[in-house]
Amino acid sequence: MSDNLLDINIRHSLHTANGTLPMEIAFTLKEGNILAVTGPSGAGKTTLLKQIAGLIGPESGKIMFGGQIWLDTNAKKSFPPQLRNTGFVFQDYALFPHFTVEENLSFALHNQDDKGIVSELLEATELTQLSHRKPFQLSGGQQQRVALARALVRKPHLLLLDEPFAALDYSMRFNLQALLLKFQQQFRFSIIIVTHDIGEIFRLADQVIVLDNGKIEKEGTPAEVFVKENTAPQDLIIHGEVLTCTQQDNQLHVNALIENKIKTLILPLHMEAEMIPGNNFTLHYPIDSGQIRLINS
Amino acid sequence: MDWQPLWLTFRLATITSLILLAFALPLAYWLAFGKFRGRGIVEAVIGMPLVLPPSVIGFYLLLAFSPSYWFGDFIERIFGLRLVFSFPGLVIASVLYSLPFMVYPIRAGLQSLPASLREASYTLGKSERETFFRILLPNCKPAILTAFVLTFAHTVGEFGVVLMIGGNIPGVTKVASVAIYNEVEALNYSAANQYALVLFAITFVILLIVYSINNNLLRVRQSS
Amino acid sequence: MNFQRISLLFLSLLAGCSSPSEKIVVATAANVQYVMKEIQKEFEKESGKQLQLVTGSSGKLTTQIREGAPFDVFVSADTKYPLEVFKNGGTDAAPKVYALGTLVLWSKNISEKDLNTALLGTEKIRKIAIPNPRTAPYGEAAVQVLKSENLFASVEKKLVYGESIAQTAQYITSGSAEAGFNALSIVLSPEMKGQGHYIIIDSAAYKPIQQSAILLRHSKDSPKKESSKQFYDFLFSGKAQEIFKKYGYK
Repeated sequence: MSDNLLDINIRHSLHTANGTLPMEIAFTLKEGNILAVTGPSGAGKTTLLKQIAGLIGPESGKIMFGGQIWLDTNAKKSFPPQLRNTGFVFQDYALFPHFTVEENLSFALHNQDDKGIVSELLEATELTQLSHRKPFQLSGGQQQRVALARALVRKPHLLLLDEPFAALDYSMRFNLQALLLKFQQQFRFSIIIVTHDIGEIFRLADQVIVLDNGKIEKEGTPAEVFVKENTAPQDLIIHGEVLTCTQQDNQLHVNALIENKIKTLILPLHMEAEMIPGNNFTLHYPIDSGQIRLINS
Repeated sequence: MDWQPLWLTFRLATITSLILLAFALPLAYWLAFGKFRGRGIVEAVIGMPLVLPPSVIGFYLLLAFSPSYWFGDFIERIFGLRLVFSFPGLVIASVLYSLPFMVYPIRAGLQSLPASLREASYTLGKSERETFFRILLPNCKPAILTAFVLTFAHTVGEFGVVLMIGGNIPGVTKVASVAIYNEVEALNYSAANQYALVLFAITFVILLIVYSINNNLLRVRQSS
Repeated sequence: MNFQRISLLFLSLLAGCSSPSEKIVVATAANVQYVMKEIQKEFEKESGKQLQLVTGSSGKLTTQIREGAPFDVFVSADTKYPLEVFKNGGTDAAPKVYALGTLVLWSKNISEKDLNTALLGTEKIRKIAIPNPRTAPYGEAAVQVLKSENLFASVEKKLVYGESIAQTAQYITSGSAEAGFNALSIVLSPEMKGQGHYIIIDSAAYKPIQQSAILLRHSKDSPKKESSKQFYDFLFSGKAQEIFKKYGYK
């Protein structure tokens, strides 16, 4: 018995706006780990998640979870989503509009004895005061918390999240990521999260796979995948977007949007061609270790 | 004024609508989400009453229900019921005639719901049937209401089919639309007028009530 | 599209509507339509003039005439409706009877030797089709026959009413009603020939079905005034009367 919780090996035809792409994905997820799935849009990330949940059936392949065979197309065996006990947080939250917050959560219950879990989750997500509201009466962040709580009612072993925090502002995103980690430590489930946010990946994930055109381009730890080799340990790799660029004293003064904050960078003149407002850039930014000081911790 | 034709009309419309509601729900679900070949054929068949003139439908029903042919004969022998010239026959005819009016709006309502609602319910362990009744239908209330009202109103206005197979029997198959026609034929315009006005007034009030309910439902859903 | 073009188009459409056809338009009650077709052939051969038959129920035709429908002659199945038109001033002369109708008892499956009015009261007959007595003379006659034989009270529940004589015929020939009353002219018409079995009802049992026709009022300078009168008179000519007899009229 391996300590890999999830074993997946599938082939599928991905129908996109540009035609049909052959999709071929194989990876394993260790128990209790968090896997981030990222890559450009249309690469098949959502499709992959739905296949793991059992909502879509891949054309061929095998999915094993905790020793159970969830899917084996050769043996014509397939567990429906109802039997797979995965929690799924959808990109549009998929809250039931006609139910209150509490009803949304209780809906997931099977027998009445588990009722305590509902109030427990409501408390943990700070939704107890709002439990009698309907989804349209909640803010985006509140709806997101309901979606997360609801996915956990059945105490799933595997939680799947499809860009769950994409529509939220930065600080709300941060809070929810922390909440997710807290839940994971409490309930001990594995997580697969689709996201574009690199900060999120580094904060949450143990493993990352990068999908492109239906195939895994890179996989490994976040560091292995994203950190460039020829970087000295104290150098920074900065991703940003140019807002303005002016020449002053033989240098470029560039105002750039970096991790949602505006920073001013002093850069050499020869970069002028790339520093056009609206351009995205990745910069190798060496640090003078002598000047480093902590401001507050 | 004889109230019997009006009573008959509303009885026919109500019974037809209720029966159709029961049939149309699974049919609409099947059309909305089922994966099967030949779906186009089923849809075309369901839509036929929309394009066929009522007299054509009535004509074929007359042949089908007549005891001279096997189906009518079978029904008469087993149930002792002659479908032509009878109220049950009118109900069957109305159900066929108004079928698309019930099925199409409900199907559209179901299809307009985001797929993620169904998917979420499945991942929470609920079967297709439970999802349909507890999640999909409650969120389709306006569509279902519209379908019911359209069917009801359409049946109230039914004339050609009833004329063909009803036999104009007072208290049994002489519905309001036929009664009005009879009065006009007999040059009794004042009576025809009376029937028509009452019919108009009652159906108008019904529609008014139903659409107020509908608007309330929509308003509640949209406010935030 | 500028205004001139639109109005030109509009005017040309209207112009197309303005010239009336030269055909004599004859409004015909449904049950006489088969006879009238033959009469039409005969008349057109003799006079060289063209007819256009418009068929409908007498009640509908009467209403249409009242509202100004462009008919020239109205050939009805009874006298009640032409009288209405006369009363409303749609015609100069009173209606004239062109034929007497004959009532028959008709059935799809029951043979002539078994068919009679007494049978109607038995269990064998579950439904009896008659034309609506309020609007059709043959329906009235049928009720009279049933009443004269003291059958009406017992068979009233079995009656089904056809909205026209043609529809009543359909109920009978489809077998939906085991038997029914209808016009001899229908039973003898080419379309219905050989369908089912019939017996002629004794004419003493019902009031004579007087079928009348009227010549509708024409303006003095109407181009069809002459030809319409010519056709109207033809209805009462020997030739036409022969054709009527052929179809069972008296």
